[in-house]
Amino acid sequence: MAAVDIAGVRKVFGGRAGEVEALAAIDMALVEGEFACILGPSGCGKSTLLNIIAGFEGLTAGEARVFGEGVARPGPDRAVVFQEASLFPWLTVWDNVTFGPRMLGRPKEETDALARKYLGLVGLAGFENHLPDQLSGGMKQRVGIARCLILSPRVFLMDEPFGALDAQTRMQMQELLLHVWDETRGTVLFITHDIDEAIFLADTVYVMTARPGRIRSRIPIDLPRPRTIEVLTDPRFNALRADILHQIREEASKATREFEEAERSARR
Amino acid sequence: MAAIARSSSPSPLLGLALPAALVAVWEVLGRAGVVPQGILPAPSLVAATWWDWAVGPSGMGLNPYLGTWFETVLFSARRVFTGFAAAIALGVPLGIMIGWNRLVAGAFDPLIQSLRPIPITAWLPFSIAVFGIRDAGAVFLIGLGAFFPIVVNTTAGARDTPRNLIRAARMMGASERQLLLRVVLPNALPAIFTGMRLGLGIAWTAVIVAEIVAVKSGLGYVLWDAYYVGRMDVVIADMVSIGIAGFLSDRILVAIGHRVLHWKQFGAR
Repeated sequence: MAAVDIAGVRKVFGGRAGEVEALAAIDMALVEGEFACILGPSGCGKSTLLNIIAGFEGLTAGEARVFGEGVARPGPDRAVVFQEASLFPWLTVWDNVTFGPRMLGRPKEETDALARKYLGLVGLAGFENHLPDQLSGGMKQRVGIARCLILSPRVFLMDEPFGALDAQTRMQMQELLLHVWDETRGTVLFITHDIDEAIFLADTVYVMTARPGRIRSRIPIDLPRPRTIEVLTDPRFNALRADILHQIREEASKATREFEEAERSARR
Repeated sequence: MAAIARSSSPSPLLGLALPAALVAVWEVLGRAGVVPQGILPAPSLVAATWWDWAVGPSGMGLNPYLGTWFETVLFSARRVFTGFAAAIALGVPLGIMIGWNRLVAGAFDPLIQSLRPIPITAWLPFSIAVFGIRDAGAVFLIGLGAFFPIVVNTTAGARDTPRNLIRAARMMGASERQLLLRVVLPNALPAIFTGMRLGLGIAWTAVIVAEIVAVKSGLGYVLWDAYYVGRMDVVIADMVSIGIAGFLSDRILVAIGHRVLHWKQFGAR
C-alpha cells in the first residue's frame, strides 16, 4: 500500500473573477519511508497539493489517500511544517511542542519524555522556556519540526519550511532535517522551489508544470546516504541539477508566455 | 546635544508642574475672593472637606457627609465591578463566537450594531421603568455600556486569528472546542483587554449617571445631592474621587493585562 496515493487530483478555485484551475490532474505515489520533494515554479499549485493532503482544502476531482484512507480533514497522522513556523506566540517552546499530545489527551509522562527527546534531536535542549518571539527563524522552524515529530505522524508534509531563512541557516536546517530523518525514517513530502535543496534532500524529485499544475517528471535521486554538504560538489549532483534546471526554466518561461498572452487578450 | 536631550524621557516632575500651577492660581483666586467660595471653593477648603468626609466621625448631626467617603466609594465601585463583570461574562464568549462563526455573526451582528449607537444616557428612562430605583438599574446601565466595546473588540480579535495557527492546531488534533479555547481566545486576548479598558471607562460614566438619577447612594448620588445643598467643596472632592477611582481601576486592569499578555512584551509585534 502506498503511504501517499494521489490519483487524478484536480483543483479548481472558484471566484467572482472566474474559475482558476490550480491542479490539472496529479498522479503520484509515495512508498513508506520515502523522502519526496515537489519542485515547481511559483504559482504552480504545489502548496495547494500539500494542503489537499493535509486536509486543509478539498479537491475538485480525484482521490487523495494516506495509507489507504481517504483524506477528509486535518489530523495528527499528517503533520505539517509551515513556511512561517506558525507557532503559538503565547506558548513557550515546551508548550508549543507538547500542544498536540495535550490536545489528544496522551499520557503526560510519555509526552514529557518524547518532548525532551525531540527537543534534543533538533538541538533546542535548554530553550524549553523561551517564547517564539525570542527565537531566530531557524530555531522557530526547529520547534515546528519537533512539534510534528512528537505526534508520531505517518506522513510529514513540509511546505517550503526553509524558504524564508538565510542561505547559511537554510543549509544547516537541511542537514538537521536529514539527520532527524535518518533517526526517524518517516515518509516526507517536501515542497520547495530550490533545486539544490530538492536534490540534496530527496529520494525522488517531482517536477511540476506551470499552472494548471501537473507532474512533469519524476526523477529518482540515487545519491548515496547519509548525505553531507560534500554531495553538492559531486558530478552526479551537478548532472541532476542541470537536467532539472532545464525543465524548470521551460516551465517558468511557459508561465511567463501564458501570462503575457492573457494580458494581450485582456487588452483586446 | 539637543537630540540627546530630546531622546531621554522628561522628568515626571515636568508633568506635575502645570497642575500644581493651576491649583496655586485657583488657591490664590479663591482666597482673594475673586471667585465666590460657594461657586469655586479654594483647594485648601476642598482638601479639608475631603478629610472630614473620609475620616470624620460619622453620624454627627449637621454634616451628613462626615466619615462616609469609603462607604460611598465602595457603593459605586461595587456597582461598577458587578456591571463590568457581567459585561465581560457576556461580551467575551459572544464576541468569540461572532468572530468565529458566520452563522452567529449573521444572527447577532446586526442587533449589536443597531443598539450600539444609542448612548447609555438614553437608556435611563427604560432602565428605571424596568428596574425601578434600585441597584439592578445601575448595574444594567453599567453592564450595557461596557458590553459594546468588549464584544466588538473581542469579535475583531477572534476574527483575525492567523489561518495557519488554526490549521496548525487542527493538524495537531485540536477539537473545535479546544481550538476556540486554546487558539482563538488567546489570540483575541490583546484585543479583549483593549475592549475592557474602553468598557471600564464607560462603566464609570454610567455609574455616575445612574446614581444621579436612579439610586440613592454612591459617588454620583453624593455629587448631585451636594450640588443641591450648595456644597461645591463636596462636589469638587467627589469629582476628584471619581477621577482617582477610574484611574486606579484602569491601572489595576492594565497590571492584570501585563500579566495575562506576558508574551506580548517580547519581539517587535
